[in-house]
Amino acid sequence: MVLEATMICVDNSEWMRNGDYSPTRFQAQADAVNLICGAKTQSNPENTVGVLTMAGKGVRVLVTPTSDLGKILACMHGLEVGGECNLAAGIQVAQLALKHRQNKKQQQRIIVFVGSPVKYDKKVLEMIGRKLKKNSVALDIVNFGEEDEGKSEKLEALLAAVNNNDSSHIVHVPSGSNALSDVLISTPIFTGDGEGGSGFAAAAAAAAAGGVSGFDFGVDPNLDPELALALRVSMEEERARQEAAAKKAAEEASKQEKGGEQPSASQDATMTENVSAAAPGAEDKTSDLMDDENALLQQALAMSMDDPAASVVTRDTDMSEAAAEDQDLALALQLSVQEGSKDQASQTDMSQLLADQSFVSSILASLPGVDPNDPSVKDLLASMQSQSESEKKDDEDKAPKEDSK
Amino acid sequence: MACVHDHSCEDHDCSSDFSLYKHVDLSKVSALNEAIPGSVKSVFRSWEQRLNSSEGHLESNEGDPELLVFIPFTSDVKIKSISVVGGADGTSPSKMRAFINREGIDFSDAQNMQPIQEWDLAENLQGVLEYQTKYSRFQGVGNLTLHFPDNFGGDATQIHYIGLKGEATQLKRDVVATIVYEIMPNPSDHKTKADGGGGLSHVE
Repeated sequence: MVLEATMICVDNSEWMRNGDYSPTRFQAQADAVNLICGAKTQSNPENTVGVLTMAGKGVRVLVTPTSDLGKILACMHGLEVGGECNLAAGIQVAQLALKHRQNKKQQQRIIVFVGSPVKYDKKVLEMIGRKLKKNSVALDIVNFGEEDEGKSEKLEALLAAVNNNDSSHIVHVPSGSNALSDVLISTPIFTGDGEGGSGFAAAAAAAAAGGVSGFDFGVDPNLDPELALALRVSMEEERARQEAAAKKAAEEASKQEKGGEQPSASQDATMTENVSAAAPGAEDKTSDLMDDENALLQQALAMSMDDPAASVVTRDTDMSEAAAEDQDLALALQLSVQEGSKDQASQTDMSQLLADQSFVSSILASLPGVDPNDPSVKDLLASMQSQSESEKKDDEDKAPKEDSK
Repeated sequence: MACVHDHSCEDHDCSSDFSLYKHVDLSKVSALNEAIPGSVKSVFRSWEQRLNSSEGHLESNEGDPELLVFIPFTSDVKIKSISVVGGADGTSPSKMRAFINREGIDFSDAQNMQPIQEWDLAENLQGVLEYQTKYSRFQGVGNLTLHFPDNFGGDATQIHYIGLKGEATQLKRDVVATIVYEIMPNPSDHKTKADGGGGLSHVE
């Protein structure tokens, strides 16, 4: 959780009217900015984010670095597209804004969206990069939109000048059906060098892969961020619970292969649980989210129709892992199931107590109107003791079995 | 080894004087324009170890001799003198400018601000030179920033050792972490216990 102050430089030049990123380049950019702000503020509550525009009438700082997510989201509304982007001035103003941050302990980072052609030469950009590096400011570049000749080269040169120990990154996003924000989620810009916003990113990525179009869980994070967050958290909890249940079921199933007795009804129940657990499991395993979407969709359809054949195929992957699992654990489960069926557990404590004759006699002595020396009471005690002893023997047989594992 | 003091070092242990390195908060030491991040921490050693830079030294980026070193202390110190061991072949720093008790200085600040003191350095490869401070100005130092703007012609600047001589008090300078300034302060926004009942002041 790196403590960071970030300035985001938004490109709102004329080139952003183009529709090759849906719905328009500018809208895709705005979505990406919203996501980044959310991720930054989530990864560390003391992180601050600011936004400035590079085109329009000139470079303009919309909001200075703040941790108030609402303010940042609000300022992205009602932005006009027009003018020409001034990359060098934008970066320099961003650096100045970061210099005057309130908390000097924060690391400085600039994220710049470059959608229009770059009119500056390599030398100027390299000089800017070196100045940023000298003042230990990290720079993330999102290259999208216009594919100018030499643009990538210039931006790579800028990155090389700025990069200090891999803290700066560049991402090239080609136009296509993938949304800009979806592509960015898997990049180090979002995950913050491996830690930090990865939880946020992983949840968002899983939701995107599940085939839910547009917003996660059908709730617009902009309109109701708390609800979206609650849904996301509950989804992750459910997934964790199902995975735990799936593991247990897989162990019990592997025990069945060794020949333990297991009611098949319970297995069916766990299989249906396992089926739905395998679905997110399969999702997590697929590294490339976009390509496997069709396969996942078919799998989801098959599972929803409760087809055991398809589900067994998916379950085999889990079982092969579980088969190599702890033998002792399987044995313990078996024993606990057997014990439960005979309902011994509840009786053992009581019988042990009763077997303790001195304890019983002390209780009886305290009762009014009962004479422990009375022969009938003594007979009763003797019979109880013999009964508890026979039970005790059974328990002792079981106890060595438990101890041997 | 020759020493600038007019005594022989065997009688008077110089190493105990240059003991402020023990009071440097190493985890918070930082430098700007260093080639290897974190290498600045290796320059704070004991006097005997001043020439032993086996653990690394501080080097600036290629082609840019400026260096800025930020040194926070664990308690307030009084600094009597500073010793700097540079590198060979013109990589030693030629000037040193000091700022005290200012956090977050970067290069543009350092170039524009008046330092509390500045020195012209000589090439000091053996570590025998020390630069006296105007002691009255270096009395309650919570952190020290050293700016080395130039060197003796080398491509980069190297610093192998920074020695600080002085005394440590056991006090810590009071620092208010964040101050919020209000443009239009309204006393009724800040209710105190006195407003609840009792107290001589009454605010609408």
